Amino acid sequence: MIIVNYIASVFLIVLGLYTVCTKKNLIKIVLGLGITDYGINLLIVSIGFNPGGTAPVYYLADLLNGVAPNFFVDPVPQALTLTSIVIGACVDAMALALVIMINRKYKSVDADEIRRLNG
Amino acid sequence: MIQHFPVMAVMLLFLGAFLVAIFGRISPVIRDGIAILIATISLVLIYALIKPVMIDGQIISYWMGNWEPVEGYAIGIGYEVDALGLFFALLVVTTFWLSGIYSLGYLKKDANKMHYYTLYLMLSASVLGLVLTGDLFNMFIMIEIMTFASVALTAFRNKQAIALEAAFKYLVLGSIGSSMTLAGVALMYRVCHTLNMAQISSIIGGEFNLTTIMAFGLIVAGLGVKSYIVPFHTPAADAYTAAPTSISMIFSGMVNKAGVYGIIRMVYVVFRAMDRSSIQILLVVFGAVTMFIGVTMALAQHDFKRLLAFHSISQIGYVITAIGLGTALGLNAGLFHAMNHTLFKGLLFLTAGAVLTATGTTNLDKLGGLSKRMPVTTVCFLVGAFSISGLPPFNGFASKWMVYQAIYTKAVESGNILFAIATITALIVSVMTLASFIKVTQAVFFGQENPENANAKEVPVIMQIPMVIMAVLCVLTGLFYNVVEKFLLAPAAGAALGVSNYIDKMMGAGYAKAAGITDIEAAPAAFSFWNPLVWLLLFVVVFLGVYIVMATSKSTRGRMLEGGEGYDPKYATFFSGEQEEFSQVGGSDLFWGFKTDWKGYYKVLQGLHSGIVTDYASYIVMGAAIIILVMFICLR
Repeated sequence: MIIVNYIASVFLIVLGLYTVCTKKNLIKIVLGLGITDYGINLLIVSIGFNPGGTAPVYYLADLLNGVAPNFFVDPVPQALTLTSIVIGACVDAMALALVIMINRKYKSVDADEIRRLNG
Repeated sequence: MIQHFPVMAVMLLFLGAFLVAIFGRISPVIRDGIAILIATISLVLIYALIKPVMIDGQIISYWMGNWEPVEGYAIGIGYEVDALGLFFALLVVTTFWLSGIYSLGYLKKDANKMHYYTLYLMLSASVLGLVLTGDLFNMFIMIEIMTFASVALTAFRNKQAIALEAAFKYLVLGSIGSSMTLAGVALMYRVCHTLNMAQISSIIGGEFNLTTIMAFGLIVAGLGVKSYIVPFHTPAADAYTAAPTSISMIFSGMVNKAGVYGIIRMVYVVFRAMDRSSIQILLVVFGAVTMFIGVTMALAQHDFKRLLAFHSISQIGYVITAIGLGTALGLNAGLFHAMNHTLFKGLLFLTAGAVLTATGTTNLDKLGGLSKRMPVTTVCFLVGAFSISGLPPFNGFASKWMVYQAIYTKAVESGNILFAIATITALIVSVMTLASFIKVTQAVFFGQENPENANAKEVPVIMQIPMVIMAVLCVLTGLFYNVVEKFLLAPAAGAALGVSNYIDKMMGAGYAKAAGITDIEAAPAAFSFWNPLVWLLLFVVVFLGVYIVMATSKSTRGRMLEGGEGYDPKYATFFSGEQEEFSQVGGSDLFWGFKTDWKGYYKVLQGLHSGIVTDYASYIVMGAAIIILVMFICLR
């Protein structure tokens, strides 16, 4: 059921944003960003999915002769998802690297203490 | 030949980033040489497009790998350069070229310059790609590269704790914005089964269903995060402060312009929603709030760069307000102000960098009397300050004038009280900007000299050149506003309103007509510049604005008795003054009276800018929720 996917993706996005907005631990904030990304990835994959469709891999001859089924899963969202996964991994890696360096300077990973720039 | 220029300009910069990373180790000359050479070639390639696009009115399209549309469906990734895209591309190339020259002198003492130039070229390439692309997902990719490069450059001086802190905030908050954009792009693909902006525009045809409203809201909110409109502005203030100044200039000159470009492209071209008064009011309200909160926060700052950052936010408010009007005049005014903001704010950031180089601090309380020691910087700063405050004949005056006139005309035409309030807000904000820059001028360049800075020297020539170029451009665009209007603004505004040309060039002639697309009729943007009657009106409105500010402020006289609650000798009625022996009047307290009058307001606002990343994230989520909610209510 594709509707379950949509509900799950919205749930993940909201859960991720909730984590970012409420948790004070920087590592947890980064986790929240990751969860939001996964929710969006699920959303994109679900958008391209056709229940019962085949993989979009054919020989040209098959297509021209009409042998191949013309009902297949849209490949574009899958490509988008791959890109998005890579970007999400980069965000997580970079954010965690920054958390480590912040921890060295501030001796803390609590968001309430990392606020020298304010006002 | 010419159709390869835009994509070459973008790809060369990306290539340059890798070349610097590979060959930059050999010697500093090769590293700097590659970076500046590539930036210069890119600059020339984009400037070469002025004649065909701006003057001859061509639109340049380029399909990656020659994947042209099949049976009216775009399958490939397309680059499309119309006058609107080129207008922003010109701002981008000018900014990063000048910033590159400046950083040659500015980064003298920094290590890891190879990393700096790699990221600098990445950032330039991504912003240039963003304004030139015709593909929604490509736009998202460019936004992500832009965010990464910006974050890494914010943390460039990673010996300083604040740089790391600002970078982390920027990454978290920027990623929320990018995620919202991506979700919006995905929903648009669900509706249209294409990612090409021209085709999406013709498929949805300015009509909305539930999915497109959601997508529209998400994309506009996501781009709002990139253009730092209130309440999405919090990472900007931190990042501009902590980043190296040459990068602060890039942030304020092109990164937030990229967000503004995205918003213009979305609301005018892709979704074509600007003929709806609800969207106009939404943007104008956001813009007016942005300019007011930005300038009032700027008045309370004690750091030169942080003050400039809040002014930057405030000026973006003008741009958003003007483009939110949905008229040709408003669009002209918004684009002109965006351009002028790039020039004068870039200039001001460069002078801040020069002050930092000479004295080692940007704290306004520790500076003073630098005008004798740094004459070139002082003159450049004054030009920038006059421009941003809107004094004639500098460029800020011309564009702000256009903005006032656009909002005023709109208010008269529509009779909506909100537009009238926005007009008055714009004028009050301009007055406050002037006040704020009087304070900076006094605190940094005039006033009493701080003995600690007695050996401050003028910065090297390589850093003076970009400042002087920008100062000259500030004066020229102010004096020859009609030339700018004719050759840059009018084509760009026409491109934003003339959607059918944009679609036809990309998807084949007649495509827009077949889809029933009609252009918003572009009334000639006639603006009278030196009309004395309007001057009088301006005077009356400014007077009213000042009067309202004065009248609403409560008198503090006699309330602060010695020993009473909140007593501070600084604000005592007869014996006021600083307790310390050495303290400048002015410094950052030139307007302390104003600040004490508005104590309650500042208490709330500074409490909101708490510096805690989770608070900022909740503002972003709330702002996005408001935008989406308003769109659902108004567009259903």
